Amino acid sequence: MAIKFAGSFEVQRKPEEVYDFLIDPNKFAPLLPDFQGLSVQDAEHFTVRVNVGISYIKGIADVKMHRAEAHRPTRAQYKGQGSVAGGNVSMVAGFDLASAGDGTKVMWEGEAQVFGRLTSVAGGLLEPLGKKQVQKLIDGLQAALQPASGSKS
Amino acid sequence: MSKDGKNWVGKALPRKEEGRLLRGMGKFADDIKLRDMLYLRFVRSPYAHAKILSVDVSEAEKLPGVVCTLTGAEIAAQTQPFIEIAPEPAGKIRDYPLAVSKVRYQGEPVVAVMAVSAAVADDGAEAVQVEYEALDPVMDAEQALTDASILHEEAGTNRVWNGVFEYGEVEKAFQDAASVVEIDRMHFHRFSSTPLENNVVIGQWDAKDEHIYYWCNNSFPSFAIQFLAAHLNVHIDRIRVQTFDIGGSFGIKITNYPQMAVCALASKKAGGRPIKWVETRSEHMTSSAHGNERTFRDTRVALDKNGVITAITSRHIDDCGAYPRYEPLGCVIWSQVFPGVYRFKNARIGFSQAVTNKCPVGPNRGYSRMQHLWFLERVVDICAHELGIPADEMRLRNYIRPEEFPYTTPNGCVYDSGNYPKMMEVAKNLIGWEGWKKRQAEARKEGRMMGIGIGTTLDSGTNNFGQSQIVNPGAPFSGNSQGANCKLDIYGEVVVAVGSCPQGQGHETTAAQVVADVLNIHPDLISVRTGFDTERNVHTGFSGTYASQFAVSGLSAVHGAAQKLKAEMKRLGAFVLESRQEDLEFGTGQQGPELRSKTNGKSINYWGLANIVNVNSAVLPTEMNDVTLNCRYIWRAPFKVPDTKKKYGNLTMTYASQLHIAVVEIERDTLIPRILDYVAVDDCGTVINPPIVEGQVYGATAHGIGAALLENCVYDAVGNMLTSTFSDYIPITAMNMPNVKYGHVETPSPHSYSGAKGMGEGGAAPIHTISAALQDALFDKGIFIEDSFNNPDSLFRALKGETGKTAELVKVERRVGSKA
Repeated sequence: MAIKFAGSFEVQRKPEEVYDFLIDPNKFAPLLPDFQGLSVQDAEHFTVRVNVGISYIKGIADVKMHRAEAHRPTRAQYKGQGSVAGGNVSMVAGFDLASAGDGTKVMWEGEAQVFGRLTSVAGGLLEPLGKKQVQKLIDGLQAALQPASGSKS
Repeated sequence: MSKDGKNWVGKALPRKEEGRLLRGMGKFADDIKLRDMLYLRFVRSPYAHAKILSVDVSEAEKLPGVVCTLTGAEIAAQTQPFIEIAPEPAGKIRDYPLAVSKVRYQGEPVVAVMAVSAAVADDGAEAVQVEYEALDPVMDAEQALTDASILHEEAGTNRVWNGVFEYGEVEKAFQDAASVVEIDRMHFHRFSSTPLENNVVIGQWDAKDEHIYYWCNNSFPSFAIQFLAAHLNVHIDRIRVQTFDIGGSFGIKITNYPQMAVCALASKKAGGRPIKWVETRSEHMTSSAHGNERTFRDTRVALDKNGVITAITSRHIDDCGAYPRYEPLGCVIWSQVFPGVYRFKNARIGFSQAVTNKCPVGPNRGYSRMQHLWFLERVVDICAHELGIPADEMRLRNYIRPEEFPYTTPNGCVYDSGNYPKMMEVAKNLIGWEGWKKRQAEARKEGRMMGIGIGTTLDSGTNNFGQSQIVNPGAPFSGNSQGANCKLDIYGEVVVAVGSCPQGQGHETTAAQVVADVLNIHPDLISVRTGFDTERNVHTGFSGTYASQFAVSGLSAVHGAAQKLKAEMKRLGAFVLESRQEDLEFGTGQQGPELRSKTNGKSINYWGLANIVNVNSAVLPTEMNDVTLNCRYIWRAPFKVPDTKKKYGNLTMTYASQLHIAVVEIERDTLIPRILDYVAVDDCGTVINPPIVEGQVYGATAHGIGAALLENCVYDAVGNMLTSTFSDYIPITAMNMPNVKYGHVETPSPHSYSGAKGMGEGGAAPIHTISAALQDALFDKGIFIEDSFNNPDSLFRALKGETGKTAELVKVERRVGSKA
């Protein structure tokens, strides 16, 4: 089951500042919804522990993240894989940055693939829940970079 | 003989099993609890197709209560891959009961965790870490045949088998045809058996006597032990399998031998402690076995000016899921009913089977034949609609006629008996055909979508396993056999054992009826052993319960054993009673069942006979030394090996037939198809026990209605099974089952000793019948039924024009001045 998401927002920060924020797991990872903890393996790999759950299906997932692309200050991409009771999730999330006046336009897109029994047990809920979680992440990102910025997604 | 002077065979005797089953006193595999028993849970793949990068069981093994774990790599190091029935290259497939380096379907077992309780085993399974690298899944058999993504690298192709079944003068028939109908594509969907009881295995590898013991619900144990012995590298005599009451199988429990292997190996690793695995419903839905999915491509039908089918050509592509296992027998089993109930002589069908990243398939009630029979019934209905011939008339013009039996089909099968026109007459009377036709006409004037459909189908019983050689000439199987034992035990009780393992078919009752007639005693005086046990020594390599064969193979074996016992009793009785054998008669006297002399008035009861042989044998003369009153008989089917090159020969002994009629209305607002009336007429030859036959007909009808309207195994594009629970996979129950009117026609089989035919699978007649009714309801809207599964969603898509567009997918060529 594939869940796709995309959108853009603008912040009053320079592209370099936004980029530096995005590739720093210590800053970026806590913005993930239901963040529980982080362990950084090296500059490109880190593991995020998050709470996940749908209704009564709840658990903790360790999501292994890999920074697959890093082109300062225009693009960063993460790939991740995690497992939780009843399923596995693979995800790709990319950020393209472009100057927009005094600030930066952040164009984001991604796709999460969900595998396992979870798709059958909670299939109908996964897509709206996934999109809600992504929106939380983007809202948090905007707030961290520029609390007053507007979003359109 | 009963009080009314008639045989017990044919009487409506209440089932001997009923008392214990209805009172909750049945004994099932899950009821077995053994000392030091451990519980097994599988860690299953979330991916449909992925490489296994690593398996880490360390955290699981640290958990208190977890005794050990078992991985695919450990199994591969100590066993042989399972036997493959397919020839090479598919024969090179290395199939182990746990995934070794790749997973090939969602739900495939990867690790087994053994613990002191099922709950701890669950916790242990969650603690196992498996790292995967996802691969492109292959979710469609036609796509699989392109070999763009290979499931089994060792085979180098996804193609399991392909062959062409061609008979008669196909090209000439098309040249002479008055009309030719072409159908682009049809599809038979995937559904499951959904027995009440899931798979259960308790396995123990006992180092003390180097035996492997199973207490389980496998429904073809003699086949399972052949696979297991080769896989586990043990002598087959070291494997003991016992089954008990079984809560339904419908074929699917033939395929739990991989889990049997895991339980034995896990027991070995756990120091010989018994290992119990009880499958959950969602495991059953995702990972046990599904029925075959089949696609029919490029179908062409030649007809004469009267609408009589003269030839059919088509390409059939079968999807067997991730591992062939019991397949590719399905590649040939469909040809037992090659022309269905129809008379056409010319046909060419190209048959291919491919592996895909879905649950492996296995036998499922009507196995492999129902797909083909559905195809033929669709062909008949589509041609009838296109040519403007009523569906009933179309069938009558094409049916094999009653006077043509025994009928040899184009591929050499011999249909024993049947009367399809009579069945239609009975069915029409039962449903009130003319009345429904009038109501349908009125409904159509009101814009209502009402259809009347007929499905005629066959239930071929008692296989010739020589058909496996059509798929693989090196396969070591042919013929068919079954064993039984009939004895007087030490106290003179008649005890019968047979190599079947019933799952609700009433074998204890029908076997008792047969023996009762041979010995002229009441069936209640006969004990028939429950379940299967290799140590009863009555099994052959084909023993089990499957393929609608007990009435022929099982009861023939029982009859043979009873006759042997009777002959020995007569010899002994003649000696004891000082009478000639021909002067003796069997019956029941004041001291129970007895043998008496009609000439001197002497008699001896069964206790007396048994006593002499078992505990008082010094009175016997030496010429009586071979009298044991413990008689084993092996019945063998009179088959020959088919001509494997021509794909020609008799593949089955008996052909029960079914004719169903359904009246269905599609609700305009919801598009829910409602069954307004339903008739099932069955002909299984001489009936052994009418209520058991009727019950089987209702069961098969329920199964088919569920499959036609409710039950569908749905996968998404990446191989997630979306219907793994009964919330999404809606099984048929008493709540959604319509009333069924039952009718019966009896054409005794000349191929069985009793005239009975195997029955119970029912040919999936409701699927054909409901498809026919829905097409009748929708054909005037330009829609033909191209899929065997039809729920409101699929009917909505059809009415939107997304599927089943007759104008695009069906072509008719009418020829003026043809020879036909």
